[in-house]
Amino acid sequence: MGALMTNRRWRAAVALLVWAAGSSMAAAGTPGTPAPDFVLRSAAGPNLRLSENRGDVVVLSFWSSRCNVCRAQLAELDRLYATYRPAGFVVFGVNVDDDAAAAREFAAAQKLQFPMLFDPAKSVARAYRVDALPMLVAIDRFGSIRHVSRSDKSTAVTDYIPVLRTLIDE
Amino acid sequence: MRKRNVQAIGRPIVARFSSRDPRRSPLLLAAALALLATLLLLGPLAVRAQDAVSAAPAAVVWGGEAKAVATPSAEPVAAADTAVATAADMPAQTPAQTPVDARGIDEQTQQLKKDAIDLNRELFMLEEELLFPANTQVAVFVSMDVGEFFALDSLQLRVDDREVANYLYTEREAEALLKGGVHRAYLGNLKVGEHEMVAIFTGKGPNQRDYRRGATLKFNKAVGAKYLELKITDRQRRAQPEFEIKDWE
Repeated sequence: MGALMTNRRWRAAVALLVWAAGSSMAAAGTPGTPAPDFVLRSAAGPNLRLSENRGDVVVLSFWSSRCNVCRAQLAELDRLYATYRPAGFVVFGVNVDDDAAAAREFAAAQKLQFPMLFDPAKSVARAYRVDALPMLVAIDRFGSIRHVSRSDKSTAVTDYIPVLRTLIDE
Repeated sequence: MRKRNVQAIGRPIVARFSSRDPRRSPLLLAAALALLATLLLLGPLAVRAQDAVSAAPAAVVWGGEAKAVATPSAEPVAAADTAVATAADMPAQTPAQTPVDARGIDEQTQQLKKDAIDLNRELFMLEEELLFPANTQVAVFVSMDVGEFFALDSLQLRVDDREVANYLYTEREAEALLKGGVHRAYLGNLKVGEHEMVAIFTGKGPNQRDYRRGATLKFNKAVGAKYLELKITDRQRRAQPEFEIKDWE
């Protein structure tokens, strides 16, 4: 009888844990949830950690060297970065290519001012539920995801400016 | 009200856990984790609710003015007088009351946040105690001294040919290590007996050259916690970094 009760308790515990994990993970990587922290190698050399930029508005731009729209979006983001950097705006380009060499070559050719990060293992892409490229994720000064854009238009960044201004003004 | 709930529900759960009753622990741990998850999910909502309440006094004042302007024009003069009187009365009362209410709510919210943080800390300690019991616990720490000949970039840790940790250090973290900080690179469980640990360090060596070096230690895990330290020092005579693994007895 005692063993049966213990067994039941274990089952209840497992069910509760699954529920707790499910409720906390179901929304992970979506707007309104804390941005998953990561550290990645950058094209410039040093490793960069997202949480070290707490206090800044951060935009993650997931891209691939085979994506033409990404090229246009990265150029637009670079212009935004130059304008809003003094106001506490940071952009991280996160490359999801398998071939790191091709990605480095692409990043070097773009001559972008913001850091380009490499995620060949796709661990960060998985954490942010990247299911389309390009994809933009806006993170506020408190480290919460506020907006996700999966638009494949080259003007997506321009359309994004009001959102960024709101976040910067907060 | 919510604060009381946290104290009433949260504390006894922690207290019961520490009684180490093996039959109760899993269920209570799960309940505590569920409570923590709920609190973490509700945290941002509470902050937004507080923001909304803080914004309320402005809305009341604006509402008062709007009401005064929108008074029906059947008796224009009297209505205007009423409106002026209302508008004149409002600022005298509203600011005196609303800031106090807002402050009270603010204090309660801060207290709630503090309780959530305390509960989170207690649960974290409890989780570590349960997941890494003292008799099987192994912890590996990284420390650096001087760092003239080596700039740490990453660390890969293998125990018994199994990769257990792979950590990329940012510049800030490397600086913190140079200032005397110690980083816990791994915390896990190992059976009693002989084990082998291999640590592979990568970074920039002398003359900014890419540097990769390994250090190996065979150690005996007895009953009780095991602490190992990966120490990076400079060997001035050879102008090279030195990597050693120290077994804290």
